Amino acid sequence: MSTVISAKGMSKHYGKSVAVDNISFEIPSGRIVGLIGPNGSGKTTTLKAALGLIPFEGEMSVLGFDPRTQRDLLMQDVCFIADVAILPRWLCVGDAIDFVAGVHPRFDRKKAERYLANTKLKPSMKVKQMSKGMVVQLHLALVMAIDAKLLVLDEPTLGLDLLYRKQFYQNLLEDYFDENKTIIITTHQVEEIEHILTDLMFIRDGKIVLSASMDEVGERYTEVMVSGDRLAAANALQPIDQRTVFGKSVMLFDSAGPGGVSRAQLAVLGETRNPSVADLFVATMKGTYA
Amino acid sequence: MNTMKWLVRREFWEHKGAMFWAPIVAAALLFCLVSGTVLYGAAQGEFQRELSVKLASKGDRTIMIEKGLGALPMEQKTQIAEIASNGYLALAAPLFLMLAVISFFYCLSALHEERRDRSILFWKSLPVSDAQTVLSKVLTAGIVAPLITIAVGVFLSLLTLFVVAAVAAFEGINLFGMVLSNANFYLAPLALVGLVPVYLVWALPTIGWLLMVSSWAKSKVFLWAVGAPLLVIGMLKWVNYIFGVGIRMEWVAENILVRGLMGLVPGNWMGMVKMDKATMANNTSMILSDIFTNSWMTLATPQALIGAAAGAAMIFAAVRIRRWKDEG
Repeated sequence: MSTVISAKGMSKHYGKSVAVDNISFEIPSGRIVGLIGPNGSGKTTTLKAALGLIPFEGEMSVLGFDPRTQRDLLMQDVCFIADVAILPRWLCVGDAIDFVAGVHPRFDRKKAERYLANTKLKPSMKVKQMSKGMVVQLHLALVMAIDAKLLVLDEPTLGLDLLYRKQFYQNLLEDYFDENKTIIITTHQVEEIEHILTDLMFIRDGKIVLSASMDEVGERYTEVMVSGDRLAAANALQPIDQRTVFGKSVMLFDSAGPGGVSRAQLAVLGETRNPSVADLFVATMKGTYA
Repeated sequence: MNTMKWLVRREFWEHKGAMFWAPIVAAALLFCLVSGTVLYGAAQGEFQRELSVKLASKGDRTIMIEKGLGALPMEQKTQIAEIASNGYLALAAPLFLMLAVISFFYCLSALHEERRDRSILFWKSLPVSDAQTVLSKVLTAGIVAPLITIAVGVFLSLLTLFVVAAVAAFEGINLFGMVLSNANFYLAPLALVGLVPVYLVWALPTIGWLLMVSSWAKSKVFLWAVGAPLLVIGMLKWVNYIFGVGIRMEWVAENILVRGLMGLVPGNWMGMVKMDKATMANNTSMILSDIFTNSWMTLATPQALIGAAAGAAMIFAAVRIRRWKDEG
């Protein structure tokens, strides 16, 4: 398993404000990584740095290339959708396919046409006539047909309806992904992607606050439905988050946190289960906008 | 190479209206105007009456037609045929002026529009380098657009010439045979195509300047492209006036304004370099080849070479600027 992205002390300043603050991480190949963070936390900046779109300080290597100086080589094996999928208004579907097929050696025309067959898009249709969702459909069809080693999707399903979103993630998993590929996704609709992720990265105020595989996350965090009479005992174990569902308290515990309790200990308090990524996110990001 | 083909095609798709349809519409209008006038004149019997035709290319010489075209002496008939075969492409002159305007605004928007509509991130997600992208825009403005205009212009000129010759035949002067047997009739379009490289070299400073502004300016590209050189000249004039430094204003004006902004006008090199009058023959049949050879010879002048180098430097700057620009 080789490393696809490795960052060491990577920072990015916009004037005096710090967008990304000295982060280090590694992403091995064959993973689907969710990069999750609130608005303005530095997700897009981190991805843009990795894609060689913006200069930055520190070290970063993507597929063995420095994105600042070797972007042209890098782009042979990388594909991305930037945060809002925008295509030029004058482009029509047929020309878009011809163009990408012409310039991209790893583009599979048949595959793109197959994806488009499931939509209402016609070859003669121009982007300016499309709804926002249709533009995204076209963009996704183009990108999914590119056999890239690294695919970066920044809010890929923005503006798509639920049916298409589900179908897209299913296609991504079944049709696109394999052990030689790596996908990085950012989205606010965490619930929809958590079942396809292999790794999770939380970013907050330009810092990575959690970076772990989904298995590790499952081992580390436990959610407990605490029965009423155990509340005081549970609170003593320092839960990182607490909410009430149907009159019952649901507490989130971090086994690596200050309380340091294992799942076995928690089972005494009530029913235990793995927390959802969304709940974990809310607990981790507490006070971000305060 | 294949990538470049698709990049140029992409430019053509985006600017089909300005680069392809606009010349065609203009050519259609010109054709209607010219052939309409000629046909109307024939219908009114204008060519049967006394008529004086001024031949601009021959100086102030006029041919007096006293008893209608058919009654002209043979020598003058030959002269008319000669001028028609050599100069029929002059009919397309308005198209070439239009080309200059279209290419100007094309270059100005070439690297700005993709940032304004934020589609630059899509283009940058493909394995196409900034150098290739910018180069495809240089080729589009410097070669593809002129070739399209030449094709449309030649077609327009042939069609108009056909109408004129047909009318002339009715009036008793057969131009067809004389025009078709004149070698210059065939050489003229080839000469135009052959001048495209000369056009590119002389247009490089303007293409480079406009692309550089286009890649750099956040908004108001036109104001930057035209206003900045004017401002520099104004400031130089001021400094010159106050301190009497003695900067040669014509030289500055010519090099900054004309080279930087007017380089896309076809034939601009003829005003930049003094054509060798001695080699310019007085014979009509020689004008074509003279313009051709003299134009190519201008490429050896310092004006052409320094301008091209400055243009290339600005194109390189545009590539470097695009590298780190995304939206906005």
